[in-house]
Amino acid sequence: MNLTSLTFLLFCIITLFFYFIVPKKIQWYVLLIASTIFIFYGNLTKFTFLEVLLVLLASYFGARKIDSEKGKKRTYYLLGSIGVILGILFLLKYTNLLLVTFNHLFNLFKVKYKFKLITRNSPIGISYYSLIMIGYLIDVYRGGCKAEKNIFKVALFMYYFPIIPSGPFTRYNDMKKELYEPHKFNYDALCSGLVRCLWGLFKIFVISQRISIFVNTVYGDLVTYNGFFTVIAALLFTLQLYTNFSGSIDIIMGVSEIMGINLPENFNAPFLSRTITELWRNWHITLGAWLKDYIFYPLLKSNFMQSLNKKYRKKIGRKKAKKIPLYLSMLIMWILIGVWHGGTYNFIIATGLLQFIYIFLEDVLAPVMDKINRKLKINPYRKTYRLFQMIRTYVLFSFSLIFFRAPSIKKAIDIIKSIFVWNPWVLTDNSTLFKAGLNIHNFRVLIIAIIVLFIIEKRIKKGNVRKQLFRQNIVVRWALIYMLILSIIVFGCYGVGFDPASFIYRQF
Amino acid sequence: MKDEQIYERINGVFRDIFDDDSITVNANTTADDIEDWDSLEHINLIVAIEEEFGMKFNMNEVTTMKNVGEMVEIIKVRATK
Repeated sequence: MNLTSLTFLLFCIITLFFYFIVPKKIQWYVLLIASTIFIFYGNLTKFTFLEVLLVLLASYFGARKIDSEKGKKRTYYLLGSIGVILGILFLLKYTNLLLVTFNHLFNLFKVKYKFKLITRNSPIGISYYSLIMIGYLIDVYRGGCKAEKNIFKVALFMYYFPIIPSGPFTRYNDMKKELYEPHKFNYDALCSGLVRCLWGLFKIFVISQRISIFVNTVYGDLVTYNGFFTVIAALLFTLQLYTNFSGSIDIIMGVSEIMGINLPENFNAPFLSRTITELWRNWHITLGAWLKDYIFYPLLKSNFMQSLNKKYRKKIGRKKAKKIPLYLSMLIMWILIGVWHGGTYNFIIATGLLQFIYIFLEDVLAPVMDKINRKLKINPYRKTYRLFQMIRTYVLFSFSLIFFRAPSIKKAIDIIKSIFVWNPWVLTDNSTLFKAGLNIHNFRVLIIAIIVLFIIEKRIKKGNVRKQLFRQNIVVRWALIYMLILSIIVFGCYGVGFDPASFIYRQF
Repeated sequence: MKDEQIYERINGVFRDIFDDDSITVNANTTADDIEDWDSLEHINLIVAIEEEFGMKFNMNEVTTMKNVGEMVEIIKVRATK
């Protein structure tokens, strides 16, 4: 079920209606029923049902056993249940990655055999709920939370419907209050949640969908569109992805807010960041937090990494030695982020290796940059320098996303090659640019919408914009809300050829 | 061990790790108060504290400690040096 479809709207209205009229004690059952319908909607097969059930059973019984057993048995139960969850995830999502690798190897050694790739429906949200449940099991193991005794509560925590399409990642300790405790209907929360949903729709329909027309046209025909067309498409795709992903998160958070359920924020104006390191602190925040707590920290603190640290301390000094386990753990983590994003190599490069290289270089080159700045008498605290850093970060990130957008590494290289065609007249003559799907009117709307986006993002970073909105007097407040609604209706892209169903982050 | 002694030694570790002799922590100090205390330096700090006091933090503590005060409470119970 698509977050921007009328079906989803109807689904939410019915869910909200029952959520608020049933006795408070059984309120969360409404959510469980709704979530169960949502996760299997249009995708109920024996396979998907069994997969969801297996993950639920492994998490439930695994956590209970970890809680009740002692000593090494706890570890076995932890590893066993994580094994089941990861096993299913890998079987469904990464078998093809493995098969493609084998096919490449066969090719390399001139073996004439080729594996056929498999196509099988996996339940939606599998990448999200699998990691969420692994986090839950580890939390129970570490003593951070108690195992839930009611399996239906575990089920609701696992696939609470708004988070199924694209996150955010949640923690049991934070969610148990939100999900199972009764919530009264609150008119202010309704208004505030709706405005957040509208803002999400604005991002998706006015910006993301509009950009997608241009990007699809350019990337679809690199012979006709190259040079500056490719540069603009690559730069715009970053915004397309961001507005699409963060827009759906806005809808998810808005719907939850109406029900009184608070979810962790997933974005914090990432493009106002001055480095890639900072950008990732503000982009897909809950994924970063998950990886930090369950992979990065344990890895970095492991005996192996610490012994590496000690081993090199005498040879290269303490400052440098501590960087070795750091970079190694980071490399492993970034490859895993790449793998999580998709079962193909272009994702491992786009959201893995390239990001690692950027962050690594930022860290290594920081002293050099400081020196250069001092020599050139550049004040790094100046606004213009900050702006330069933001633009640099945006461009670097956009470059990596070429591999994200392209279906394969080969195609990504074609796109990069097509940049090196010198055609600056595209920008100066009055018509060429507007032939790639977006006419001059659409470009104007897009530019204004992007400016609005950045102004609002900057304000959101400083404080709660919706609270400020609701503090305004009735005329200003409603004028702004109507403007938002009207702009979505008038400037949204819904026409033929646009497929609002294709949420970029949904496939993960 | 008295609280003051623990804080004195913790200050030493902080100054050493973050390379800043002006750092003085108290129970309410959090990662927000020290510019370089980010997720990358967090484990270095934890490991250095562990070495200083001859003890171990478990992973749950590593990820959920909210301020230096919570760290000190754990040190009080487990310190062997």
